[in-house]
Amino acid sequence: MLEMYKFETNQLLEQMEQVVINSEKSNCCSQEAINEIFRIMHTIKGSSAMMLFNGISTLAHSIEDLFFYLREYKPENVDYMKLSDLVLSCTDFIKEELSKIERGVEPDGNPDESVNIIKAYLTELKGDGGGNAIQENTDEKKDEGKKQKYFITRSLSDNSEKTLYKAVIYFEEGCEMENIRAFTVMHSLKNIAQDIMCEPEDVIENEESTRFIRENGFKMQFYSDKTYEEIENILNETIFLKKLELEVVDNNDTANVNKKKPVIDLESDRSITPEAVRTEKEKEKEQANKTLLHNFISEAMVTSNPDLKGLSLDNFNKAASQLKKITGELQDIVMSIRMVPLSATFQKMHRIVRDMCKKLDKDVELEILGETTEVDKNIIENISDPLMHLIRNSLDHGIETKEERIKNGKSQKGKITLEARNEGGEVIIIVKDDGRGLNKEKILQKALDHGLIQDINREIPDREIFSMIFLPGFSTKENVTEFSGRGVGMDVVSNNIEKIGGVVNVDSIAGEGTTMTIRIPLTLAIIDGMNIRVSNSTYTIPITSIKESFRAKEEDLITDPDGNEMIMVRGDCYPIIRIHKLFNIKDSITNISEGITIMVESEMNTVCLFADELLGEQQVVVKALPQYIKKVKGIAGCTLLGEGTISLILDIAALVKMK
Amino acid sequence: MASVLIVDDAAFMRTSLKLMLEKNGFTVVGEADNGAAAIQKYMELNPNIVTMDITMPVLDGIEATKKIKEVDPQAKVVIVSAMGQESYVRDAVVAGAKNFIVKPFKEEHVLKVLNSL
Repeated sequence: MLEMYKFETNQLLEQMEQVVINSEKSNCCSQEAINEIFRIMHTIKGSSAMMLFNGISTLAHSIEDLFFYLREYKPENVDYMKLSDLVLSCTDFIKEELSKIERGVEPDGNPDESVNIIKAYLTELKGDGGGNAIQENTDEKKDEGKKQKYFITRSLSDNSEKTLYKAVIYFEEGCEMENIRAFTVMHSLKNIAQDIMCEPEDVIENEESTRFIRENGFKMQFYSDKTYEEIENILNETIFLKKLELEVVDNNDTANVNKKKPVIDLESDRSITPEAVRTEKEKEKEQANKTLLHNFISEAMVTSNPDLKGLSLDNFNKAASQLKKITGELQDIVMSIRMVPLSATFQKMHRIVRDMCKKLDKDVELEILGETTEVDKNIIENISDPLMHLIRNSLDHGIETKEERIKNGKSQKGKITLEARNEGGEVIIIVKDDGRGLNKEKILQKALDHGLIQDINREIPDREIFSMIFLPGFSTKENVTEFSGRGVGMDVVSNNIEKIGGVVNVDSIAGEGTTMTIRIPLTLAIIDGMNIRVSNSTYTIPITSIKESFRAKEEDLITDPDGNEMIMVRGDCYPIIRIHKLFNIKDSITNISEGITIMVESEMNTVCLFADELLGEQQVVVKALPQYIKKVKGIAGCTLLGEGTISLILDIAALVKMK
Repeated sequence: MASVLIVDDAAFMRTSLKLMLEKNGFTVVGEADNGAAAIQKYMELNPNIVTMDITMPVLDGIEATKKIKEVDPQAKVVIVSAMGQESYVRDAVVAGAKNFIVKPFKEEHVLKVLNSL
């Protein structure tokens, strides 16, 4: 339950943040937006109260009240800037509390300060402007109140045939909303009773009535042609009834028949089940189970037994292919559970841009493209921080101040584009700004100061220079701002991205902007692989990067003076990487026409790999190389094959870069 | 045992109510996250009891209660409301709701109300 609460509340907060920021942009708050915020806060209030997180509940309640006022009275003097600041600061508070809950700490934040600010603001709104609206509305309310009481003041009919009853109803303590309960009782009598009079008279509108009923009971007097027993039965059906006093009042006051029949004590013993809060350990266990299940399914999917190879077992094969189909579907479902769209992560950036623009007095528009792109769940978890950092960096260092932009002939409004798309088996996320670009000289100077390079005159490709900003302790910005520029961070960015198997590249044109490109594998769990054999070793190539495979002819082979081999395919020349040479494998096929040549592509570059033979296509579970094996160039990870041997997964991107 | 349709726009609320009810022998036959869906589900599932939130998107709980009562005057609708919504609860009672539960609800309260129907 706690998981669900956290999930839903977080989702609602993000949704609300979005609404607030959109409203702020258009500098107004549409009726739908107000309704939505009201509803979200109402829900959070309710859920939090259920979970006994009173701080959150109280704060949500006060925002709810504020938006209730906005919704009902539509005041005109609303400062939307202030309003969104207020609401956003409250979402921050709730988020903070949620993260405390996440860490297993008691959410003990005190919302009083925020609540008081909201209350003060509400009073301010009520105080000036919208006065008319209030007046109108209270009138309306009064009318409504009268209208609702129609059955109570039904015209005095001929009551001579009827009996006058007097009833006092006491409700159980703690049943809450006694006034409505009283109203419900009256409502249940409306068809059988006339001229109902009650005390307190104004059950709903008067706030005092609840207290009165609690203390003195709810008193009614009415005429009815039903018998005492019938009336008693109806009233006894009242839920949370503690005590009912019902008596018949003689019309003529002659025979004072006092059929007082009190005390029907319905109070039963109470058993309050305490809110079961799950312990941290249980959660962990559940998480572990989930992971285990997933790995298990992955393994089941791809493991095939070599003993069965070459046997003709028609029925078995039929059954096996049926099973394969079913497990395939199962796998798809499991994988789809893991796939989550990037939209939530991307939408979060709006808030960051908004806050920073305000603080830095810059005008920046955030454009989001391809937010529906789906990636593996654990990628989402790891990508949020680096993205946030890149955006902050772009805003802080990339985009110039308003004045500077105008001076440079740019529009005053800067632009940051956040884009995601699928490309092959990878997801590409691009953070692009139209700011001043990276300063090559400054980076070089800094690198020299830090001893990262020895010779400034040596020619270094731009990309290499730019990627230096990801080195630890590197910052070219002299002034440290609140948001970025401490030089910790950019290295965290690249570390985080590398952790999920991704790479980050920087391109920059001075005066025109910077583009950061993050490439991450779509999923970390399973890939379609082509197994190849080189001597006794097996390697796996991700199918998505294979363009074609063929047996090359010796006459197509070209060797340049340095001994680099190339192959001519349909008039184009491609470099050849012999895997046996790359990994020093003995006893493999060396004659190009006897082995197999596989053309692979990465980032628009193509190379040909040379191996002994293709073993076949198979889905493999990707496992990282163990910690004690230092990063091997050209290997992305490893996998277990059906017969239990290890196959190394080739890192095509790295291989392409070698050439 | 009685079949229940739970209507609330918050999944958390639906689940906590569902767990509570199922533990006590009720059969939760369906859930709806707004008033319009509730009406549809009611006609489809014809449950014994409906628990109805008030503040919901598309169609609020009071309107939904009215519509359900139109379709089936015998329908038993229980309003699930928060403190501070008294006047809405009153409207819902006029609209035909049998009773109401106050959020945050206690198990004994919920059971008492539902068992009384």
